[in-house]
Amino acid sequence: MRHLDPDRLVLLALSEEQQEWSESDHLRQCAACRHEMGALRDVADIGSQVQDLRDLPPPPEHLWRAIEADAGLRPQPVTPVAPVIELTAPRRARPRWLVPVLSAAAAAVVAVAGTIAVGRFADRAPAERVTARATLAPLAAVPATAGGDVRVLADGKVRIDVRNLPLTTGFHEVWLIDPDDTTKMVALGNLPARDDAVLPVPPGTDLNLYRLVDVSDEPHDGDATHSGRSLLRGTLTY
Amino acid sequence: MSSDDELAERLRAGDETALRAAYDRHGAAVLYLAQRLLGNRADAEDVTQVTFVAAWTGRDGFDPQRGSMLGWLLGIARRKAVDRLRSAAREDRVTETVRAQLAPSEEAETPEKVVDRLVVADELSRLPEEQRRTLELAFFDDLTHPQIAAVTGLPLGTVKSHIRRGMANLRRRWEVDGAAFGSRSAGATRAL
Repeated sequence: MRHLDPDRLVLLALSEEQQEWSESDHLRQCAACRHEMGALRDVADIGSQVQDLRDLPPPPEHLWRAIEADAGLRPQPVTPVAPVIELTAPRRARPRWLVPVLSAAAAAVVAVAGTIAVGRFADRAPAERVTARATLAPLAAVPATAGGDVRVLADGKVRIDVRNLPLTTGFHEVWLIDPDDTTKMVALGNLPARDDAVLPVPPGTDLNLYRLVDVSDEPHDGDATHSGRSLLRGTLTY
Repeated sequence: MSSDDELAERLRAGDETALRAAYDRHGAAVLYLAQRLLGNRADAEDVTQVTFVAAWTGRDGFDPQRGSMLGWLLGIARRKAVDRLRSAAREDRVTETVRAQLAPSEEAETPEKVVDRLVVADELSRLPEEQRRTLELAFFDDLTHPQIAAVTGLPLGTVKSHIRRGMANLRRRWEVDGAAFGSRSAGATRAL
């Protein structure tokens, strides 16, 4: 007995196509295919109900403080969880085929040697394991005192510290760019008003490829793509 | 992104930042489940709190081979929520109230169903970008394979394989966590 093709089962489970007579016949007789079909239907059914669960609001910080106290933990530095989670919504909504072409000027890659970040980082939680770093240097039109440091943490987040960024009427956004094809980029999120932030890297992002960290000046124009006005850049090194 | 295995290892080693990482990653889902089961925010926050404290003190009990960290945390949260409902019932001696609380509005909303959605949502967010995107277009926007191919610019064959693999990934996770949760028998997943 020939079982139904796996691709075909998926199409039928998603109700994208109607069962042929011979297929209905087979499903009646074949417990294995019926089981497959049932499981795929269940998955499709659950999957269609999870849209609202992808961006659940983060639990309040006071709750974490209570857990910390109850469990007898040493208080840890507060990480800005709230802005990070809110940011995932617009990024996900952005279709990847709208990825912008950067202006030639902004696309000129500024080669910056990665250095080991010291000083301000030294007193941070020692347990944070760093897997890659970059030093951010200002682009030509940006004051030379501006700069920053980036650390990729073992838990898949990026900690970014910046200093002396030029004031903006919009906001500052952090990107990961493929220096070999600068039309390819991933938005990590906005920098809050203070000078450091922890942003999650979208799962599946290849940091060997998207190794150029870019901080841009974005106007509040509702356009989610890169403005082309890069302020700082640096390349991740391991 | 660090895997559950690595997080479990850090937890077992007594690394306090691992609990924070688990809270950052899964606290929202635990709070959501507790709120669905208990029907009010204050109790849901209490249950979330005791869940993470219990996860810390019982961290040796987490076995990544048996289920995901999210599945494990949701299992603890459900037990804590049920304990709370029972003790409320003892205090009130009004079991009818509890029964009403267990099913606030929709009759069919069992803890298992909420957990199913939470683990599938979590797995969806961990899929490779293109796989996730094609599945989202199929599930949420109800697009057909050819429509997804047209919208994304991906070849039809690629869309097909993304959807097939993506659904296989969601199913595997759902079956593993469902089995750990006791809501489903662990049937062998036939390779798709």
